[in-house]
Amino acid sequence: MAAPATPASGERKMVPLYCNQCVCGPDLFKVEVKDGIALRMTPNHDLEGIHPAGGRICVKAYGLVQKTYNPNRITRPLKRTNPKKGKEHDPGFVPISWDEALDIVAGKLNEIQAKGLRDEEGYPRLAASFGGGGTPTRYMGTFPAFLSAWGVMDQGYGSGQGAKCFHSEHLYGEFWHRAFTVVVDSLNCDYVINFGSNNEASGGVSGVWRQADARSRGLKRVQVEPHLSVTGALSGEWVPIKPKTDAAYLYALIHRIVLERNWREVCDVRFLKEDTNSPYLVGPHGYFMRDNASGKPLIWDLSDAKAKPYDGAIADAAMEGAYMVAGYEEGPDGERWVHASVEAKPSFELMREHLRQYTPEWAAAECDVNVETLRRVADEFVAHAKIGATIEIDGHVLPHRPVGVMLGKGVNNGWGGYQAMWGRTMLACLVGALEVPGGTMGTKVRLNRPADNRLKSAKHGEDGFMAYPFNSTKKDEWQSKPHIRNAYKMLVPLSANSPWSAALGPAHLPWLFQHKAPKPWPRQTLPEMWICYRTNPAISSWNAPEVAKRIAEFPFTLAFGYTQDESNWMADVILPEATDLESWQMSRIGGTGSAEQFWHHQGWALRQPAVAPAGECKDMTDIATELAKRTGLLKKYNEAINRGAAAMALRGEGYDYSLDPEVPHGAKEIWDAVAKAASHETSGGTDIHGIDWFSEKGFMLRPFSQLEWYLYPRMKEQGLRFEMPYQERIKRHGEQLERRLHEVGIEWWNPQLKEYEALPGYLAFPDIWENYATELGRDPKDFPLWALTSRSMQYAWGANVGLPLIREVAQNVSGHDGVIINRATARKLGIADGDPIVLESASGTTRGRATLREGIRPDTVLLIGQFDHWATPVAKDFGVGSLNSLTDLALSLTDATGSGADIMRVSLRKAPA
Amino acid sequence: MNLTELNTGSAKRYGMIVDLNRCVGCQTCTIACKHSNDTPPGVQWRKVLDVEQGTFPDVSRLFLVTGCQHCAVPSCVPVCPTGATRQREDGLVTMDYDLCIGCASCAVACPYQARTIVHEKEGYYAGGQTEQEKQTTHEDRYGVANKCTFCVERIDTAAITGLVPGVDPEVTPACATSCITQAIRFGDFADPSSTVSKLAQDSRSFQMHAELGNDPQIKYLYEVPQSTPGRAADAADLDDERQSDPANPLVGKPQTFWDYRAAMNFVLGGMAAGLMLAAWLAHAAGLLGTYALRAVDTAAAAAMAVGLFFVFLKIGRKARFLYVLLRPQSSWMTRETWCVAFIYPALGASWVWPQMAQGALAIVALAAAGFLYCQARILYASKGIPAWRAPLMPAMLVATGLSEGLGMLAALSVTMKPPLASLVPVAAAGIALALINAWLWQRYIAEARANGIGPLARGELASTTPILRGLAHAAPVLLYLPCLAGGAAAAWLAAAAGVAAFAGGALWKLVVILRACHVQGFALPMQPQRGSGKRAAPERFSMP
Repeated sequence: MAAPATPASGERKMVPLYCNQCVCGPDLFKVEVKDGIALRMTPNHDLEGIHPAGGRICVKAYGLVQKTYNPNRITRPLKRTNPKKGKEHDPGFVPISWDEALDIVAGKLNEIQAKGLRDEEGYPRLAASFGGGGTPTRYMGTFPAFLSAWGVMDQGYGSGQGAKCFHSEHLYGEFWHRAFTVVVDSLNCDYVINFGSNNEASGGVSGVWRQADARSRGLKRVQVEPHLSVTGALSGEWVPIKPKTDAAYLYALIHRIVLERNWREVCDVRFLKEDTNSPYLVGPHGYFMRDNASGKPLIWDLSDAKAKPYDGAIADAAMEGAYMVAGYEEGPDGERWVHASVEAKPSFELMREHLRQYTPEWAAAECDVNVETLRRVADEFVAHAKIGATIEIDGHVLPHRPVGVMLGKGVNNGWGGYQAMWGRTMLACLVGALEVPGGTMGTKVRLNRPADNRLKSAKHGEDGFMAYPFNSTKKDEWQSKPHIRNAYKMLVPLSANSPWSAALGPAHLPWLFQHKAPKPWPRQTLPEMWICYRTNPAISSWNAPEVAKRIAEFPFTLAFGYTQDESNWMADVILPEATDLESWQMSRIGGTGSAEQFWHHQGWALRQPAVAPAGECKDMTDIATELAKRTGLLKKYNEAINRGAAAMALRGEGYDYSLDPEVPHGAKEIWDAVAKAASHETSGGTDIHGIDWFSEKGFMLRPFSQLEWYLYPRMKEQGLRFEMPYQERIKRHGEQLERRLHEVGIEWWNPQLKEYEALPGYLAFPDIWENYATELGRDPKDFPLWALTSRSMQYAWGANVGLPLIREVAQNVSGHDGVIINRATARKLGIADGDPIVLESASGTTRGRATLREGIRPDTVLLIGQFDHWATPVAKDFGVGSLNSLTDLALSLTDATGSGADIMRVSLRKAPA
Repeated sequence: MNLTELNTGSAKRYGMIVDLNRCVGCQTCTIACKHSNDTPPGVQWRKVLDVEQGTFPDVSRLFLVTGCQHCAVPSCVPVCPTGATRQREDGLVTMDYDLCIGCASCAVACPYQARTIVHEKEGYYAGGQTEQEKQTTHEDRYGVANKCTFCVERIDTAAITGLVPGVDPEVTPACATSCITQAIRFGDFADPSSTVSKLAQDSRSFQMHAELGNDPQIKYLYEVPQSTPGRAADAADLDDERQSDPANPLVGKPQTFWDYRAAMNFVLGGMAAGLMLAAWLAHAAGLLGTYALRAVDTAAAAAMAVGLFFVFLKIGRKARFLYVLLRPQSSWMTRETWCVAFIYPALGASWVWPQMAQGALAIVALAAAGFLYCQARILYASKGIPAWRAPLMPAMLVATGLSEGLGMLAALSVTMKPPLASLVPVAAAGIALALINAWLWQRYIAEARANGIGPLARGELASTTPILRGLAHAAPVLLYLPCLAGGAAAAWLAAAAGVAAFAGGALWKLVVILRACHVQGFALPMQPQRGSGKRAAPERFSMP
């Protein structure tokens, strides 16, 4: 398709587009085009003063020009000729026409439609995997509308999530404060304790920009992590903690504050009493004591020594002690314990009792850190919290609590994630620093609704808390059979049931169960067709080599391909899509989003074909339309577009830009209608523009109040409390889930069920990984080191390992050319810088070169990013290792939310020359 | 001109502020620069180093922005023999690719590793350049020196558009406008109201290698305002172990600009100039006849020509080699070439007009002396190589050249009929020169550390020293000594002494130019307080 933005011969033109290669976007840029060739990129400086990072883009975006002209691109549809699949089998791809390719795919889809969308075991016959964080949807045009028209399918095959995402944070974050991801309001923050969140590499331009401003202002960050990351480098203090003991450190910080310090002096007592469940009385069975009349949880009012419903007139809520109270407890499955008079304690008191065991001395030993530092950090945290301080935001006075806590992926994923999340959120609650300026806060929602407004998603639920769309664990409502292969509705109540839930369930289980399912479990069938778009699970999953084998077992794989890679190596058909600079799409920008995208504006931006697609590459929107046409779904597909399945509704109150559902529409026509609807929405119907206007301007914005960054005002407005510290609902769901699973004979989820505690206890989390070798018949002593990974800003999410330009600049950052090893450790093993090395875990092996550093614990090695490519051109010659070749898919390494962690015990040796 | 003078005038002085507390090492500036300036694979005018210091558990890490510092007193400008590199009124150090011959004098004169020379046109992918690469290739930049221009084309449009460099992104260097932390700020230091001036005024900063006197125009901020003052470098950061770690990005690697071809001019040219000078002195002392002098000079000129031919082979743009004559005002390379321009015509004249030989050969001797001195200054002016810029370097090269020349005269004497009238003065001078050279070398290696020569280069020098002492110092002395007493073997002993002196001289020059040639590394005299253990920021219980 000829791009309208392509200038005439010799003329140079700056074409505006967006980059959404990572979740921190979209960020806007301009590409310089001459004679139809994209030459260079610049930030879109029109956004200076508007965009939270001055309109700038990160290093990855600059790779897009080379990405467009990569000579290794697939530019014609390809068909597999070798029926044998596997790493060792050359697929024998041959180019075919688009007609033939689409006919093959549509034929397969029609066959599935004829048989029924679910197979004999009840699993969807069609499965699809997309790259992380929802970013692929910013490139796949109207393909979501096709999927919506299609209906049932299985999106539960993971590409690495569970270990690669903020898994516990997604679930508990949304549960506790509508925070799919959690950040610190660094703009207003003075002190941050950061457990391994590498936000200087992962925070996108907005996060990095705001953090830099905060540092210049004087923010002190204490970085607690086993290796000195990019973020650690920028922190005032680095605490080299033993991997997976973060929850112990957090618990000891809380212990210090509530047991060693006078908590009434250093905590935000008003916040705890009024805005949390701290004063809720808990009965002997561990459930809230409820008022016999109203069923509401009770609080002991010290002023008149009476128990009253939580929303009654309470002058002085008791936080400590024990009280004799009448009422009832409601346990699992509606069980009730009615008490005429029984001893009940405020949940805050129970929390203090619970934490008594977690002393700083205990934690120092567990975490292998300095105890004085730990106590000082706790003291600095409360000293900086400025209890009682306020700040004016857009004319409203809000509490100002300039302290925050961050958790990295390896910290909040897998075992220990719940505890770390709870510890972090509790620390914020202690000083009233949750969802207020300067404090710990959320960015967006993915499990709650409405999806585009996290504040509005905070609605009244039970007991004064926000409602949460748990997957029911009640006897008659529980999903007793997997409806998709990862069975999230069945196993993970917290994963809810939004369009995102499939990807947020235990998304590695389908790969694991395909190989060896536990018993009992329904037979797991293979999907008859698997679609793979902008993802490469054969590289990005935990135990990627194992996942590659499982992909090879799929009978029919449709891949949308950019270059040959390890996943599409197993494809039957590869369709080449027009990439980032070559296709149409409108996306929302602004508001609040992942990693400190806090805007004062919101609106829409355009991605457009700045240059003609390479070879025969096709716009995803046109591919989706063709597939819809060939599968008899055109009408439903067009209606889905009109409904907003691809971007936003084309028909709404006071406007109608909808498309004729009966006929196919070209990509530009579709996005023109979206542009009109989007500009209508943005301008309130006063400034409506089609795609040509956006092609010139690039974006349209309207103001967005800073007040909408913070959930706290909404909570107060609704009279809601944060569900901290006591987790009555979690406990009840756990007990109910245990009953349900046991009723169908499932015992293999028992370890996960133990996690459902009202006050989460610390387990020796490192032992889980240390002992894993035993499960595979190996001796844990043979694997004396921890292997971890860390974000590469240069590569993450970008599918850009095939770009030598990115490689060139990435190599300026340590770890991009080898495995980071503590120098003293290496010396003991006779390993010098640059030596070839082998890392082995109980389940896998990887090879690389040694990069010797001091900024890493002697018992830890670090593999940045994810590599070990064997099919992707350029990348297959890197020769750097990958943690994904060392980790394993295992139930014992899976926590109750269905996540694992990017961590493994390994041995290290010098490779023979 | 210094900054104080500039501040009083209306002249501009463009420069940058780099805030070490803000930079996250993301390389966005690096890649934005590559986009904006179309630099070829492997060339980074703006590069950010990942620096780690200390030993576990007391460690710190920071990111250091490097590149051309557009020095107020640039050491690359005076060494340029063609005028391709110049300094503008506004402080920008510019490159004229059409004038540059690719001699790399500027590259070895830069103490900031700012310059590159790419000879072959290559694309990023093995199969040749992509369409986009072809469109962004600049033919004029191959075989010549390249470096950061502060995006001069952008700055120069400011005069037309009225926009302000450092304020408006269109007229501000790409690295600064792309930086995602605003760690890199660009502007006019001569304007006290510019952002860079204010930042420099409000926060403490350092200039990299200020002691070298280039007055670089990138100032590094190292404090976290309002909370944590910076700290000085730790002794452990500077110890030999860290400074010899090749993985330490602060450590300079051996230069690759001047290879054996460039070295040949120092080996052959230095000896030849010394020989011309020694022969003339011998002639003046009555030891050598005019025609013998002419013959010796001719042999020396042949050797010198071979050396010069090697240099010719090395330069990037051979067709432009005569441009080397363009900057006698400042370039020792130009001056050296002018000396050559006297040597050969004068020598030729001595053959064409034998009656004028006496005078012509005096001119040859004078030009040879100039040649030798210029050569000594060329290496000394290479400020980017600590082993070359050592204060004793000119004396060493001159003394060695003389020692070699004298030695080769003694060696040639055995082939001459008649030979030198007496070897005693030759031997005496040879012994004196060998001793002087021994003393100079001793001083050179003793002062090496103080002169900023790093442990890796010192190691190269140290491993050469025993051989050098034997070959260039002891052997000539021991072999010349018996010659003082005369005797049948004296001529052969002196010849052997001379050959040893030449071999020794060649050895150390080759070692210094090709082995102990580590470029000036980077330094962090001050840095933000952050890290683990002893390096952590101080305790802080409330905001100051």
